[in-house]
Amino acid sequence: MLINGELKYESQKLGMNYFRVALVLFGAQLLMGLIAAIQFLYPGFLFEIFDFSVSRMVHINALVVWMLYAMIGSVYYMIPDETGEETVGIGLGKLAFWILTAAVAVVVLVYIFIQVGPGNESTIWFINEGREYLEAPRWADIGIVAVVLVFYYNVFATYMKGRRTGIMTVMVANLFALAGLYLTGMFFTDNISVDQYWWWWVIHLWVEATWEVFVGTLAAYALVKIIGAKREIVEMWLWIEVLMLFGSGILGLGHHYFWIGTPEYWWEIGALFSSLEPVPLVAMFVHVLYDWGKEQGHCESKGSAHALNNSPAMAWVTANAFGNFLGAGIWGFFHTLPQVNIYTHGTQFTAAHGHLAFFGAYATILIAMMYIGVQGSYGIKKMTMTFKTKMALTLIIFGVLGMGVALTIAGYEQVLVERADLGGGWDAYFIAQDLPWYIQAQGWRLAMGVVTFVGFIYLAWDLLTIGAVESAQEESEGAAAAAAA
Amino acid sequence: MESAIYMPQIAADQFLGIFIVATMVLIFGVGYAASITLSKMGFIAKKWQLFGYAFWILQVYTLYDLGMRIHSSPFTTKVLAVAMLAYLFAPHLYFYLIDEAEKRYETSEDGQ
Amino acid sequence: MSKKSASVWTSIRFWRRSAAWVTGTATVLLIWLTFDTMGQISMGSDADLAKGIKHRIPAATVINYHVDYQFDQKRGHEVPVIGEKEKFFGKEWSAKDAAALLHHGKLTSQAKNCMNCHTLLGNGGYYAPDLTKAWLDAKWNDGTMTGITGKNTKEEAMAEFLMHPSQYPTHARMMPDLGITQDEAVALVAFLKHMSAIDTNGFPRNFSQSAKRLEGGTHAH
Ligand code: HEM
Ligand code: HEM
Ligand SMILES: [Fe+2]
Repeated sequence: MLINGELKYESQKLGMNYFRVALVLFGAQLLMGLIAAIQFLYPGFLFEIFDFSVSRMVHINALVVWMLYAMIGSVYYMIPDETGEETVGIGLGKLAFWILTAAVAVVVLVYIFIQVGPGNESTIWFINEGREYLEAPRWADIGIVAVVLVFYYNVFATYMKGRRTGIMTVMVANLFALAGLYLTGMFFTDNISVDQYWWWWVIHLWVEATWEVFVGTLAAYALVKIIGAKREIVEMWLWIEVLMLFGSGILGLGHHYFWIGTPEYWWEIGALFSSLEPVPLVAMFVHVLYDWGKEQGHCESKGSAHALNNSPAMAWVTANAFGNFLGAGIWGFFHTLPQVNIYTHGTQFTAAHGHLAFFGAYATILIAMMYIGVQGSYGIKKMTMTFKTKMALTLIIFGVLGMGVALTIAGYEQVLVERADLGGGWDAYFIAQDLPWYIQAQGWRLAMGVVTFVGFIYLAWDLLTIGAVESAQEESEGAAAAAAA
Repeated sequence: MESAIYMPQIAADQFLGIFIVATMVLIFGVGYAASITLSKMGFIAKKWQLFGYAFWILQVYTLYDLGMRIHSSPFTTKVLAVAMLAYLFAPHLYFYLIDEAEKRYETSEDGQ
Repeated sequence: MSKKSASVWTSIRFWRRSAAWVTGTATVLLIWLTFDTMGQISMGSDADLAKGIKHRIPAATVINYHVDYQFDQKRGHEVPVIGEKEKFFGKEWSAKDAAALLHHGKLTSQAKNCMNCHTLLGNGGYYAPDLTKAWLDAKWNDGTMTGITGKNTKEEAMAEFLMHPSQYPTHARMMPDLGITQDEAVALVAFLKHMSAIDTNGFPRNFSQSAKRLEGGTHAH
């Protein structure tokens, strides 16, 4: 990941820059998560120095930002492959990258060192907006919009100029919606219900509609690229996924409008459409797995080696197909009916789902894209897993699953004691927080968080070294073959 | 405002049962999708498909049980019934589409 | 080629068009529902409040009234009940002052990042108690917090707590001092009181029973 000499297009080199920053932010995200997890167990840890609100804010902001970086990186990386063209405004694109990165650095430093401000507009403009996930202060919001406009112009203009594949068509249309939605989360209102109504437009319509379609697009690209799947079939599936994802996800938004002051009809709308949300996830799961299995069988019968030209990336794509179904589909469905959600709403159960879904649906496939990037950067024909790849896969997946299970147990205990038995409120909350089931679950979450973090170290190490190691190997093998001939 | 969903009181000692049954619904659901997918892909023998259907039936039963336990309203019952039917057909629809698409697009030239 | 007769089920064009139609329809429905919802969740007026006309989100002047949370037989869950007038920080607030106070309170809640520890309307961090009905919490009504802070009314006790939270701990997990000033604290209390009067379709459930149930202890022991 350190060099990218073999890439022919500037667009792809820019993509690699986005991946590099994404990886750093991913590490920062995990460190902040560990601090927050420690604070649950030892509340005195960094108290009034670096409070839970700060560690959690940086944890989830770094999460969103690294994913957006990796998404932008993936798009810059795939543009030349798909359109056959260099990105049109590449100079502007590079400038935008440095501006965005500088802005992100300033925002993070302000979060960490200034933390909170006085209760007036200046804080909203310059320190933080205090709305979970969308904390970025308004100056940064405006900067982000400007940078995204440059990015979108680049994607759109290159698309218009070059080959217009189905994959790129979905990408261009979906990115428009994705970027536009950010605008609905930028204004201030005194009415907390109106506030949360639009807040969910950004959060839900991102993660359960536009980001999911984005993942579908990446998976389509990856299948064509890694296992040489037939483009027509992949594109047909992509449209089916778009249909099902938007058909269920857009109105599935209703599952966040049960209790925020909005009318009761959202109970029915939210229950119905969000119950259907797992259906496309099953489709994606079946499709990816089938293609992969078939492509392997296909080539073995012809006697050649297997079709995968990048097994680390494929392993993460498979993890994505499964993780998306598990974290978003299953854990999501579990608490999406209003009769259940009234008890689970805002407990650790939500956190369990949040972790499994963000990781399963997004982290996995974005890591796969990074491996594809490394392969291209070093011109490796057939990339295979190293020991570190396997350690990263195993430890990260085991760690996140472990955290998910621990938080599910904690959430269940909260539902039972705090909500069902005691009816909520301050004392009920703390009684539930102090029971052994809850405390032990938090302990396990911290332990599994450490496992995840060790896995991340392997991942970073692997991404940084695998390219050089395997390209050298291929070269020496090539030389040996040539000498033998 | 008349609402189709009614929020019944659920006694605290019923929650454990609700969680266990809900978990079983999910496990059987995964079992169904997994057996159908794996046998269609040829990883396991065709006869495993029968187990898949058995999983589906168990899933329907546990979901029914869950519906009773949360005192679900007629509306929710309908939503769940539709979801279960969709779930029965979904994998078959997917494989039908996979097969048809292959016939149409893979024959023109070889995969590589 | 011989593909003329191929089924529509494998036609890319068919799926592309269907995707566009389904997405379009869902979007139009969502926009339509949004207009309806916006109508229902815009803040009521002071005049309606005086006349007893219910709004899901009442006017800021709801701080001049007693707020309660009671089981509604017809709806099958608890709803906020706006009662008699009562003084808030020793006075009645004009519509203009109340609106300004709520504005300041909402801004402060964001500036101090309350939402990354607490949940508001159930959304936010899970490190501290939900604030949706904090104004109605037994803790402020049964003498606990007025006692600890040495204040006479619950609004004063809340304001004092918010200014110096770590001086009045109730649990090992304490709220940090966020540099909240007196004015900001008063505004925050108004924001919390207003939020407690929002009709949340019965969330948090059984909250009005909490105090009674706490006396009985929990099943889980
Ligand atoms: C990849 C896709 C998904 C991601 C990344 C995701 C992520 C999240 C996150 C982070 C939250 C918590 C928001 C907060 O902080 O308050 C949440 C809430 C929720 N999600 Fe998802 N989700 C996904 C898919 C789904 C699906 C498919 C369903 C339903 C079938 C679902 C159902 C819910 C529900 C009901 C809540 C509200 C929880 C509450 O009331 O506290 N999610 N989701
Ligand atoms: C080292 C591993 C990690 C640890 C120790 C950790 C810890 C935490 C903690 C303590 C919170 C606050 C929850 C609360 O308010 O009670 C949190 C929230 C969150 N984390 Fe993590 N985390 C880790 C990794 C991850 C990963 C890998 C992802 C996703 C890719 C992730 C996504 C989230 C999300 C979406 C939330 C907000 C959840 C919600 O509001 O429902 N975290 N994390
Ligand atoms: Fe959602």
